[in-house]
Amino acid sequence: MKRKLTVALVLLLVCVMMLPMIASCSSCNRGGGDDGTGTTTGGGDQPDQPTYERVYFDPSKSYVFKDAVITLPVNWNPHTYETNDDAYPADFLRVGLYGFVFNDALHPSTVEGVDAYKGYTIIPEMAADFPEDVTEAVKALENNKYGIPESATSGYAYKIKLNENAKWEDGTKINADTYIYSMKMLLDAKYLNYRATDYYAGSFSIAGAENYANAGQTKLKDNGAGEKVDRDAMKKEADGTYTYKGSPVYIGLNFALKHLSGDTLKAYVDAYGAAYFDVTNWATLIAKADADGLIPLTDENYELFAPVVTGNPAWNETAKDVPEYYVIKKSYPADVDFDKTVGLYKTGEYEITLVLAKSLKDFYLLYNLTGNWIVKQDLYEANLKQDETSKAWSSTYNTSVETTSSYGPYKLVDYTKDSSMRFVRNENWYGYTDGKHTYVDPEDNKEYDMYMTTEITTQKVKEASTRKEMFLKGQLMGYGLQAEDFEQYRSSDYCYFTPSETIFFFIFNGHLNAIKEREANEGFDKSKFDLETMTLTSFRKAVAVTYDKEALCTAVNPSRSGGYGIIGNNYIYDPETGAKYRDTDYAKQALCDFYSVDVSKFESLDEAVKSITGYDPVKAKELYNQAFKEALEKGYITSKDGKTSDQTIEITYAASTAPNDFMNKLLAYLNEKMAEVTKGTAFEGKIVFKFSSPLGDAWSDNIKNGMADTVLGGWSGSALDPYGLTDLYCNPGYAYDAGWFDANKVDITIKIDGKDLTMTMYQWSDALNGTTVTVGGKEYNFGYGQADTPTRLLILSKIEATIMSTYDYIPMIQDAGASLLSKQVYYVVEEYSSVMGRGGIAYMKYNYDETEWKAYVAEQKDGTLSY
Amino acid sequence: MSHLKYIAQRVALMLLTLFIISLMCFILIRMLPPVPLPAGDPHTAVIEAKREALGYNKPYLVQFGIFLKGVLTRFDWGVSDKLYPGQEVAAIFFEKLPATMIVNLFSIILSIPIGISLGIFAALKKNTWIDHVISTVTMVAISVPSFVYAFLVQYFLAFKLGWFPFLFGSTIDGTPLGSISYFDPQFLWSMLPPILALSFGVIAGFTRTTRAELTEVLTSEFMLLARTKGLTKTQATVRHAMKNCMVVVLPSIFGEFIGILSGSLIIENIFSVPGVGELYLNSINGRDYPMFIMLTVFYTVIGLAAGIVVDISYGFIDPRIRVGSKK
Repeated sequence: MKRKLTVALVLLLVCVMMLPMIASCSSCNRGGGDDGTGTTTGGGDQPDQPTYERVYFDPSKSYVFKDAVITLPVNWNPHTYETNDDAYPADFLRVGLYGFVFNDALHPSTVEGVDAYKGYTIIPEMAADFPEDVTEAVKALENNKYGIPESATSGYAYKIKLNENAKWEDGTKINADTYIYSMKMLLDAKYLNYRATDYYAGSFSIAGAENYANAGQTKLKDNGAGEKVDRDAMKKEADGTYTYKGSPVYIGLNFALKHLSGDTLKAYVDAYGAAYFDVTNWATLIAKADADGLIPLTDENYELFAPVVTGNPAWNETAKDVPEYYVIKKSYPADVDFDKTVGLYKTGEYEITLVLAKSLKDFYLLYNLTGNWIVKQDLYEANLKQDETSKAWSSTYNTSVETTSSYGPYKLVDYTKDSSMRFVRNENWYGYTDGKHTYVDPEDNKEYDMYMTTEITTQKVKEASTRKEMFLKGQLMGYGLQAEDFEQYRSSDYCYFTPSETIFFFIFNGHLNAIKEREANEGFDKSKFDLETMTLTSFRKAVAVTYDKEALCTAVNPSRSGGYGIIGNNYIYDPETGAKYRDTDYAKQALCDFYSVDVSKFESLDEAVKSITGYDPVKAKELYNQAFKEALEKGYITSKDGKTSDQTIEITYAASTAPNDFMNKLLAYLNEKMAEVTKGTAFEGKIVFKFSSPLGDAWSDNIKNGMADTVLGGWSGSALDPYGLTDLYCNPGYAYDAGWFDANKVDITIKIDGKDLTMTMYQWSDALNGTTVTVGGKEYNFGYGQADTPTRLLILSKIEATIMSTYDYIPMIQDAGASLLSKQVYYVVEEYSSVMGRGGIAYMKYNYDETEWKAYVAEQKDGTLSY
Repeated sequence: MSHLKYIAQRVALMLLTLFIISLMCFILIRMLPPVPLPAGDPHTAVIEAKREALGYNKPYLVQFGIFLKGVLTRFDWGVSDKLYPGQEVAAIFFEKLPATMIVNLFSIILSIPIGISLGIFAALKKNTWIDHVISTVTMVAISVPSFVYAFLVQYFLAFKLGWFPFLFGSTIDGTPLGSISYFDPQFLWSMLPPILALSFGVIAGFTRTTRAELTEVLTSEFMLLARTKGLTKTQATVRHAMKNCMVVVLPSIFGEFIGILSGSLIIENIFSVPGVGELYLNSINGRDYPMFIMLTVFYTVIGLAAGIVVDISYGFIDPRIRVGSKK
């Protein structure tokens, strides 16, 4: 009787579990598969949608994803985590309000003409539907209490219906209260949560969040890192001080500024004094500075200060740069009521309204909502702790199994600090039964569930050799190839190359003043060595065409490829379509212009670009000889025979560490090829690269200050925002060549709407990134949504070409990684996408379950797999 | 009585030394420039506010006073602010310490009998081929760093032969065993590779020390006297030579036991032992002040206490040695 009852209960349970599947699959007719899967024909409930054979994974089989990390997460609390390592469990334990999936027949792209699996689409996850714009309605609330601009009619307020099936792993419902409570805790000023600023300091900014998160505090805000407000936009108070939006403004003398890469002006003045600054008023100013190293901005103080940075041509700044040194002291009101002031409130049991301080729409709104901030109230509160002495709060939420609750596809079941963690399927996740998490496999055109993986084990394995051995024994799903592995595995069918955003370029010293200073040092033998020649454009051009970039990559790191522009191959200019900047005609033309390729000699622009190698030894020889003549004329070098340089151009490579294998290979290659190319020129055997002593983090300062001559460096930014990169080459706070290049002094003329428009490079960069720039009394803004895409691309390509024409940055290497994938699994989508990668754990399929895999590995010679 | 007085004096001196070392380390680590924060990054303001809230901007001596008060009144060593944010440093340390201790302890338990036996054997067979082989192997074993053994052990025993798992706390097929259970046979098996890797050097060390001491003792005049009194070689060796030899060997055993607590950064990294090996270094690099000062105090106490124990042990091993006596 008991047995019958159990069987009946199991059958009932199976029926209940199947109900949602049946609901989502209108004409289910299950059949059994002999390959461990069950199949059915049918499809979605939309009448015009094609149907696909449905394949179910055998629930009795075990598919374990075996991963290794170098650093195991220690704190994955969504309010406090700081590092990417700590973000690792987020993909398994959490789901955003919206999520990305590949575009396929079941999830068609919103953009026409995008082939299946070539793009992506966004689907509601923890939300039940897409956001509804309610800007007008919210603006009418209580005298526009959230301060939405009067002119705005959309983009500021959204009503979001929540997914009613969302639950914590223990079955507790997640509703609007969860979201409101979590945001309240996240932004609460007393907890000083690291992630709080993510919700007000960037482009995704919730109305009122900043005031609530900083209630009762006074913050010093670096003007140069924010709005860059000038005196004209400030108010002069009766006592002569300036204020901005009610906050007093100061000049930062001994205050770390972004404009100075985090250094203080005092540090610079102390180090370089009259060589770079007008120090006449400096002592007077410093005497006035308060404990924070600030003096109030008044007309009198401005008159004393401005000459310090503008009075010496060596520092190369004008009155326009003075606001970079301003600091705004913002005092936040003490009593801020979250419920009345913060733009996140409940409008239904399963509905929230989100009000933004800065408008966001469409893709960027949804993209910002792919993360989530919710926490489980009882666990969260149980793990908050206040220190008795300092009164500072800390939290142990999400630092162990006991303090973690999942609402994503997997849940944490084991965690040993600095050793391993294990996740299993979270059966309370709505995604397993909602019918939305399926895809059509392009190989067999059948419909499968996402998340075939039943369990994830993650171990900390620091040594690459151990990871490799484990991988070859079938104990890991992937192995990131090391330099020594390429020869053996680069052509393997299981080797995947993953492009990265970064382009590595040689930063080339053009800081003539610093170079002269170095040559004036006692230890420098001017009769034998020279540094000044490297500042000549002809010399720099010669170096740029001396190296075959592909051959360089082969020599130093074969997973990478040649880099030709300063914007990498992976940047997407249109997030809606996934189209890449480097594939546009604008970007191609910029490269052809820079490398002097005559496009008319080729059948197409594509052919012209393909011909670029960046390597031209004949041209290089000409240029070296030209540089020799120019250097002689300028007195940089001497020549006893009139044919060859007496001095060796010694180029110091800024080494951050003691030379490693990569660095040694790089230096050997540079010197070997330089010797080859300069053979028969005036610089034969006279150009040598050498390493500096290990500089640690100071390598970048040495480059910026002209104390080292070159380094292989690079920038990477958001793959979806190539435009933002321009600031890195204009803003002196970032630019490596800020010591000798001023983007404010370089004009670029671009034809906009049929008319030539001339602005400085810095202004073009600002305008491209959404700042309104005034030129000739007219305002220009070419930011997202403000200008059409072709115009923005044209501006970007012109800025890129201008940066390259300085030869301060010589593109060399397109970064990429290579890894082997286990035979146990395969990617549904092999082509890498900047947004989707290869689909991650959701799209991973298994060739073998665990039992089969162990048997397969055991069958191999010595139990070792061959790739 | 004078022995107790001596111990009391040493303990008092130890506490004073501990205080001075702690104060110095506390101030010196805080005098290091903080890890630079990116200017303009909004998170920078949060970190600075947190530093302020934690009292890191107060005068160093005030901070030290607060620290001492917390430790002495509540045994509160503070909360990690960088390596394990929000978690109590003492709890983290004591959670990780057993893995280090157990690996090192087993290594010593394995190494002592083997090392001493080989040393005795070599000494007894002095200048024979056996002695030469043992001495040569010992020299090689001492010269080779332990991480080389680690890689060799991992390569041959785990990869080629498949006898052991690659990592501490996992099965031979690579599955992590989850929470640590030192009585689980699979767990014990997974500990053997790091234990072996650690043991080669220790065995060699004991062998060399024992051989050197015993060789010297065996040629002493009192050994000749013992033999002339009619003792067999074995009797003389066991009763007299070994005891004298232990005066040097035993303190080195104590030293090894103290080393149990510190762990080996490299061995722990290679075998993923979740121990304390890299905590100290990481706490300095990350400027995790509470973690650093807790570790400093702990290891200082252990070091100072060990010094006292070793000194006192001489008196027990050889009653002729009287510590602290002016006569």
